[in-house]
Amino acid sequence: MSDHKPKKTIGNRPPRAFGWMAEYSNEHKLLEAARKVRDSGYTDTDAFTPFPVHGIDEALGIKPTKLPFIVLCCGLTGLSLALLMQWWMNGVDYMYIISGKPMGITPASIPVAFEMTILFSAFSTFLGMIALNQLPKFSNPVFTNPRFDRATDDKFFLYVSAKDKYYNRDSVRELLGGTQHDSLDEVIEDSTPDALPRPIWLTALLVVLAGLIPAMIILNMRNGFSTAPRFHVFFDMDFQPKKKAQQTTTIFADGRTMRPQVEGTVARGQLDEQDSFYLGYDPNKLSALENTDGVRLVATQADPKPQDTAKDGGTKVIPAANTPAAPAAALNLPWLTTLPIEANDENMKLGETKFQTYCSACHGYSGYGDGLVHKRAEALGQGFWIPPTSMHIDRVASQPVGQIFHTITKGQGKMPGYAASMNAKERWAVVLYVKALQRSRNASDKDIPEDKKPSIEDLTQPKTEAKK
Amino acid sequence: MATIASASALNPREIDNTDDIPGRRAQLITGNQTYSSVTEMVCRVAEDPQPMLWYVLFGFSSITAVMFLSLIGYLILTGVGIWGNMNPVFWAWPIVNFVFWVGIGHAGTLISAILFLFRQNWRTSINRAAEAMTIFAVICAAIYPGIHVGRAWLAFWLIPYPSLNLWMWPQFRSPLLWDVFAVGTYASTSLVFWYMGMIPDLATYRDRSKTPVKRMIYGLLCLGWTGSSRHWLRYEKAYTLLAALAAPLVLSVHTVVSFDFAVSQVAGWHTTIFPPYFVAGAIFSGFAMVVTLLVPVRKIYKLENLITLRHLDNMNKIILATGSLVGLAYGTEFFIAWYSKNPYEGFTFMNRAFGPYWWAYWIMVSCNVISPQLFWFKKFRTTPWIMVIISIFVNIGMWFERFVITVTSLSRDYLPSSWGYFRPTIFDGLMFFGSFGVFMSLFLLFCRYLPTIAMSEVKGVMSSSEHAEHLQAELLGGGHSHGHGHH
Amino acid sequence: MSLKYDKETIELPSNWKQYAPLLICAGLICLVVGAGLSFMGGRSDGGASPMKYLVHSYLANFMFLFTFSLGALFFVLIQFLTRAGWSSSIRRIAEIIMAILPWSAVLFLPLVVLLYTPEGSALYEWNAPAEEIHNSIIRDKTGYLEKGFFTVRTFLYFGLLTGMALWYFSKSRQQDETGDVELSLARQKWAGPLIMIFSLTVTFAIFDWVMSIDADWYSTIFAVYVFAASMMAFFAMMVVINMTLQKAGKLKDLVTVEHYHDMGKFMFGFVMFWSYIAFSQLVLIWYANIPEETNWFRMRLEGGWAYYSYSLIFLHFAIPFLGLMSRHVRRNRTALYFWACWLLVVHWMDMTFLIMPNVPGGFSVIPMLGHLLGGAGMLFVFAALFIVRSSGVPLVAMRDPRLPEALTYTNPLL
Repeated sequence: MSDHKPKKTIGNRPPRAFGWMAEYSNEHKLLEAARKVRDSGYTDTDAFTPFPVHGIDEALGIKPTKLPFIVLCCGLTGLSLALLMQWWMNGVDYMYIISGKPMGITPASIPVAFEMTILFSAFSTFLGMIALNQLPKFSNPVFTNPRFDRATDDKFFLYVSAKDKYYNRDSVRELLGGTQHDSLDEVIEDSTPDALPRPIWLTALLVVLAGLIPAMIILNMRNGFSTAPRFHVFFDMDFQPKKKAQQTTTIFADGRTMRPQVEGTVARGQLDEQDSFYLGYDPNKLSALENTDGVRLVATQADPKPQDTAKDGGTKVIPAANTPAAPAAALNLPWLTTLPIEANDENMKLGETKFQTYCSACHGYSGYGDGLVHKRAEALGQGFWIPPTSMHIDRVASQPVGQIFHTITKGQGKMPGYAASMNAKERWAVVLYVKALQRSRNASDKDIPEDKKPSIEDLTQPKTEAKK
Repeated sequence: MATIASASALNPREIDNTDDIPGRRAQLITGNQTYSSVTEMVCRVAEDPQPMLWYVLFGFSSITAVMFLSLIGYLILTGVGIWGNMNPVFWAWPIVNFVFWVGIGHAGTLISAILFLFRQNWRTSINRAAEAMTIFAVICAAIYPGIHVGRAWLAFWLIPYPSLNLWMWPQFRSPLLWDVFAVGTYASTSLVFWYMGMIPDLATYRDRSKTPVKRMIYGLLCLGWTGSSRHWLRYEKAYTLLAALAAPLVLSVHTVVSFDFAVSQVAGWHTTIFPPYFVAGAIFSGFAMVVTLLVPVRKIYKLENLITLRHLDNMNKIILATGSLVGLAYGTEFFIAWYSKNPYEGFTFMNRAFGPYWWAYWIMVSCNVISPQLFWFKKFRTTPWIMVIISIFVNIGMWFERFVITVTSLSRDYLPSSWGYFRPTIFDGLMFFGSFGVFMSLFLLFCRYLPTIAMSEVKGVMSSSEHAEHLQAELLGGGHSHGHGHH
Repeated sequence: MSLKYDKETIELPSNWKQYAPLLICAGLICLVVGAGLSFMGGRSDGGASPMKYLVHSYLANFMFLFTFSLGALFFVLIQFLTRAGWSSSIRRIAEIIMAILPWSAVLFLPLVVLLYTPEGSALYEWNAPAEEIHNSIIRDKTGYLEKGFFTVRTFLYFGLLTGMALWYFSKSRQQDETGDVELSLARQKWAGPLIMIFSLTVTFAIFDWVMSIDADWYSTIFAVYVFAASMMAFFAMMVVINMTLQKAGKLKDLVTVEHYHDMGKFMFGFVMFWSYIAFSQLVLIWYANIPEETNWFRMRLEGGWAYYSYSLIFLHFAIPFLGLMSRHVRRNRTALYFWACWLLVVHWMDMTFLIMPNVPGGFSVIPMLGHLLGGAGMLFVFAALFIVRSSGVPLVAMRDPRLPEALTYTNPLL
């Protein structure tokens, strides 16, 4: 039991005093003293005990905490978030169909909603307690008293703060001195320096810096470019024991991974119901013809070349003619007159692509026979060059679609057949495109649908006006 | 108050305080303890040099844990094919082990929360260790589904986050996703509960530390706790709220685990009693594990006066009660399978008991239902070595319960053409064994560095029961003597 | 060393006794008028046999009354099992409710007798002549669900429950005379085994009496559901009885705000537990979507029952859950009394929900009014039986050795 005299100094001033603290040997003495202090009118008081002493809140006049209210609010937030999350994620943004269960909020949403409610409530309870208690607080003037170590063991402390509006150093000492205390000390300012010791700073700095490294690496990788192969932490399925299309193999004699179609087979989905789809004419009608035109046409087919075993399937081998066939217009053949594919945007786009890939080099983008090859040949002045046929001359423009298909398939004159490069559907798409090209050359404004006219008129306006 | 207790001849600290004459409560902790002697007893566990046994056990269990971690690495590099999971039993040991460990992880929070709500003061001596055990068991449990997902490094896809790679969300109608939320909430809430409970005791450790480094570490861990009454007020409120929140949470976790099975249409899995029956089983196995751990702990660290025979007796009674509840659930299931006249249900249960897995079924019944019945006898409830054996049997039985549920139903379901017989591989066995290494290593570290008994709570109960005795004596008009009261 | 107390404070109010015959009469009148309404309404409705309304209604109302005693018996057993002290001063009220069990058995008798009449299958369809049962599953079950065996089992259930209740009641009464501590120890010792018998009995009794009205349906959790509901109803009834007695100037200082607080917590807890069990049953059946199981819920969501069934989510869970959440509500007499009455009403609704939708023809107002009147009648009968049972019995076991604990404990937290 001693009046604690501050021995150390802070800078060149004596440490400040924060109040008085008395020590008691049990909770009953503490409660008695606390009541006494409260009855004397002091309110800025506190008790420090190794366990919660019941009745101390009344004895000191501590108000109940508002923690339950905070927890209730956070719990309800968790509940609403969980319901909203499930409703939006599975009911709106990404709808799974799971055994025909309804989307959105169902009995199946309850477990997650419950867990989220508890999660939010529990964390708000803990964090709320920490925050309301203003913890962590590592420096506290009460720690300056070496006897205070036993506040977490078996001793009970009562503290009257100097901030209390009725505080008077001597009268408080007298008041606490009148209780059954074991010791009575003045709480003084902590004289140890405020700054953290240098090694702790350094360690903390190092830890923070080290912690930044992975983040920097990730940031660099996310934003930079690299030609080096990907670094695989986990292989996922990036390396699989399998061969891709153009790779070699030792398994097969020809060393190719890609295998040719087995002879006499048709791949699934490759066989159209109509033979005419692959030929451009009706073979039944052809064989019924009595004149020699049919025989001549068939004769050109009787000599298949190996490179032309087309993608269209083995049974439908359509060889390209390497001998010029008779002028097709002269033949009275059962050509298809309607397209076997639909004339829609998709096929038109396909036809355009294929046309520009395979045909435009000679025939030109508009089909006038003025392709790059032709221009080059003319520029070189090659006399033996036979110009490609324009598609807009009457002879070609009047051909039925089947005949154009046949020409693309088998070739004509110097033009090779394209059966090896394009499958039947693609060739039909080219036919569609060619027909569209032909028609576009002889179109009148009647052909333009009414609703499209304004937009076309826009195009014809001078640009300066359009800008307005 | 006169103590209704008698000391054992062999060990003077072993005092039988299991019985009390109605109207007079036997003391919860024996040996006329004071506040400082409680502090002393508990802090000594961490302050004194550890016994040789600690090093032996820790060496063994950490080697086992390292083996487990290496096997996890091997599994990730190779794939889940190293396990015995094979058509038709795709859910085999991994889920059995998961449910086993999660079940064990129920006792801690149950003791802290539900027994707290029921004002069972005896919980204060055992709750800390039980909560620690809970967290370690949940860690072991969470490993199994984590490594069972195949690409373990993408397990975070289970969390609903706005992913630029996936452009999709988890499937919230799946009970497996509910598990993620339930086990995740349970693990984090239990951790918070455990840590919050430890704050005042960590402050005690801080104030008793001899070296500045220790003082600083414990000081940081206890957040600068002073024991201020204002802090205590909010702390107790927070503790109460957490208890009230954790109580339904404990129930929900094993309920959700049971949903993994019960929402399906598999015969033997789809039965409505699964939720409460799983919860009862979890409490059962959890308490068994607490008994298995605390009996040696109290012996090694000489804590018999704090973890008294009464605590063990009470836990054994709970084991008996929950074991009988589990038995009732087995019976109800069997009865309804017969009563329902559903041929698939009927077959499944006959197949469990008399089919190819008859041995697992009868191990389960004898360990889970029959062995705890020994606890009807006080002799068995109060003899430490016997209760350890019984509690180990209980946990064996509970492992087999999950095995029986998972494997028997899957191996013979609706399609007899794909029936099969499950055979585990060596990796199944080693990885189950290895998880005990993780569990034990963590528990041993806990004993060494953290307060194993909630000192502040024990002291609080000492104070309040003294107060209660005082009030009762006043009501009866005095004349009541006081044992350890000190007015 | 015993407590000084005012003898009058633990006696039933003297004028209550004369109410007993009145209550019985009122109860019987309500039951008869209710039955009439059910019968007439059932007939005018044209759908189902009027007898079906009548017997289903009677079973639901019987369960309403029976569950109080069931909860009370469990409460008394668990208090001894856990050596509880706090409840010593309110336990006698529970013991009186529990001691009504033999009369409950008498009230169930008409339903047993019914099995042997030509209308024998009005309640239990499995009791129809074999050739009239078209559902093969039910036909398969008639080995177990058979009137003779059913009767034997019913007597066994009532025998066991009544036996336990009366034994505990007599020991408690003996202690009033002798104050012998051994009487507490004996009850403590037997509480464990008897709780096991109790749970088995209740499980099978609920399967037989309630679940088998829908003979091809089954749910393993069903008995737990009814048990949860019973406990909630029991605590609500305890609050109502204790407060009524205190209003009549009895039990002064013996039942404190702490007891109400605890009973409030139990009400709250069992509201949650009931919801948990109800949800578990619902979600598993909803999710698996097996037709023979979902049928039970389909019946409760069709024919006008949907609003009624959905309302239980709010009335039986959400509203009382929020209402009872606060400590201040549980410690406030008026508020707690209100919630106790609320829970009694929703408990009646719950028992109705379990049984009445099984009557073919859907929800119809007039028979339901009759059923409601029957429920009120059962409540009157219960009150009368309580008064008869408690006359001459002290309302508090004054010589219970743990009484001082009950009178001094506090609820510092929660």
